[in-house]
Amino acid sequence: MTLYSIIFYVLAVLIIASTGLAISRRNLVHAVVYLVISFFGVAMLFYLLGAPFLAALEVIIYAGAIMVLFLFIIMMLKVEAFEERFFPIRQWLPALGMCVIFIVAGAFMILGDPDTRIPLKAAAAEPVAFGHYLFQAHWLAIEIISLLLLIVLVAVLYLGKRKEQYK
Amino acid sequence: MMNWIIFSPEFYFLLVSTVFLCLSMMRRIKPEQLYFTALVLASVGVGVCLACVRLTGDLFSGTYRIDLFSQVFKVMLSMGLFLVVCLCTELEGIAKRHHPEFYFLLSACTLAMMMLVSSVHLLTVYVALELSSYSLYTLVFLRKGRDRGVDAGLKYFLIGASASALMLFGFALLYGSIHVAYLVEILKILPKVLNRPVVIIALILLLTGFFFKLAVFPFHFWAPDVYESAANQVTTYIATASKVAAIAILIRIVALAGDGSAYLVHMLVTLSIVTMTIGNLAAVVQKDFKRLLAYSSVAHAGYVLIGILSMSQAGYSSAIFYALSILMMKFTCFLVLVKVSDDGRNLDIEHLAGLHRRSPILAMALMMALFGLAGIPPTIGFTGKLLIFTAAMQKGYFMLVLIAMINVVISLYYYLLVVRAAYLLEPKEQLPELQVPGSIKVLAGLLIFGMVAGGIFPQYIIELSRTAAMTLM
Repeated sequence: MTLYSIIFYVLAVLIIASTGLAISRRNLVHAVVYLVISFFGVAMLFYLLGAPFLAALEVIIYAGAIMVLFLFIIMMLKVEAFEERFFPIRQWLPALGMCVIFIVAGAFMILGDPDTRIPLKAAAAEPVAFGHYLFQAHWLAIEIISLLLLIVLVAVLYLGKRKEQYK
Repeated sequence: MMNWIIFSPEFYFLLVSTVFLCLSMMRRIKPEQLYFTALVLASVGVGVCLACVRLTGDLFSGTYRIDLFSQVFKVMLSMGLFLVVCLCTELEGIAKRHHPEFYFLLSACTLAMMMLVSSVHLLTVYVALELSSYSLYTLVFLRKGRDRGVDAGLKYFLIGASASALMLFGFALLYGSIHVAYLVEILKILPKVLNRPVVIIALILLLTGFFFKLAVFPFHFWAPDVYESAANQVTTYIATASKVAAIAILIRIVALAGDGSAYLVHMLVTLSIVTMTIGNLAAVVQKDFKRLLAYSSVAHAGYVLIGILSMSQAGYSSAIFYALSILMMKFTCFLVLVKVSDDGRNLDIEHLAGLHRRSPILAMALMMALFGLAGIPPTIGFTGKLLIFTAAMQKGYFMLVLIAMINVVISLYYYLLVVRAAYLLEPKEQLPELQVPGSIKVLAGLLIFGMVAGGIFPQYIIELSRTAAMTLM
């Protein structure tokens, strides 16, 4: 096992654990803090895979801006912690069972495949090269995303209206 | 220099959405003016798509392909938009001040689906799919009476977001194991590596996003609630145009697997059987007409899967043919539903009682459409089912076809219940004759004619879908 793969697996465990904690906390502020940890983990993963620019973006935009926005909303709306479970335990158990079956089957299938045991190697993508590639080969996708943001904006404006304004 | 002419359908619908976006910012536009603007723009859109049907070419560094397959589906999608707009004379399900947004989202969604059927790169496929999904979520939210639409919209959104997460994981696994993302290159590599477990898992996860769109088990839970809670016109759009787009992209992706592997075929067979059985059995007990149509959509998703899992040219062309027949038959059902519930409410099956006296032409159209959905000759639905079952038989899936036949018999029962309500039941109190405008009568007549003509003389459409399917292999 190379040093890279050790770091990779440590990060992977960190991300999965913190995301799991984030979705299972009743207290929303705690959940957001765990999510920030998970985003930092993802940023480090990007760095490890040779994309320092994406790592920086992940920290600035996700762990920084978006999480602060979440905290603002939680604090301004004064949302109390949820008392009851989101799903009753009766629905939760079968879902958990399905997940376990899927994970076990998936793990067996992937471990049985010799081609998946590729040692992790260091790689690097220059931000300039990445940007050129993205905006030359995939600018249609970027335009579609801009249209998507427009649609989401319309949806948010509609949903954000107060009930009295809506008739 | 790119050949921009072949991109004109997309340009046109981008223009249409921009027009409605601007209109939504203007004050005091009468709903009638909006309706006529939408009608004219949508009918020109059908013309633009028809004019571009024979164009071919690649755009955007090969991430976007214009071929007969995509163009045929673009014509169907623009027809779907036009037909839905035809139903918007009284848009009672949506508050007046949100009508421009409704048309904006409708045209943006059509644009997104057009881009979806033309995308040949995983990234473009994903963003186009998300664009169409988000427009649909918002359309569901727009239902008047707010809470109802918001509940169903949230459910739709949560299931859709989980399905896209799974799909993205599938994309990542696929790209990680074969290192290409252009569908053309995947087509060359994938059949050789299809026995690798990672690739199979990737494909299964990848298909979930499209299964969600088509409402295939286990991603069908949104369908009845969304159909019931969305405004009638929005439900029409979801049941017709969005299903057509989902069938198109599913064909494109499954066609990548070449002759397929045993794992993949077994999974698709299982999903198809479970989907159609659940859909048909659940439909039997429904009282609400829209919920019944929702479960019937689930069942039809199962039938379409039979065509797709045959993984032969005959199978793909039968699925294309079936997409067209679903578009016509489902739309006719919704035409009747929208016209009978003129104040935008939901309709129980028993509210259809006495329809044959209140409006003979609508009752006739409903009967033909339901017969088509049940697969009774000489309608287009019969021809579609025949093509699908023949394609499956050629591959030797006898048991699958037998189970599908049993399902068809079950479905006949609840379709006939609706026909009985329309023709044989007497309403509890005397209801006035329905005021059906002449244009709607003409439309209903044309649809009846189209469904019968498509059933008796399907040769031209079959030829077209066969040529379209050929471009995939």
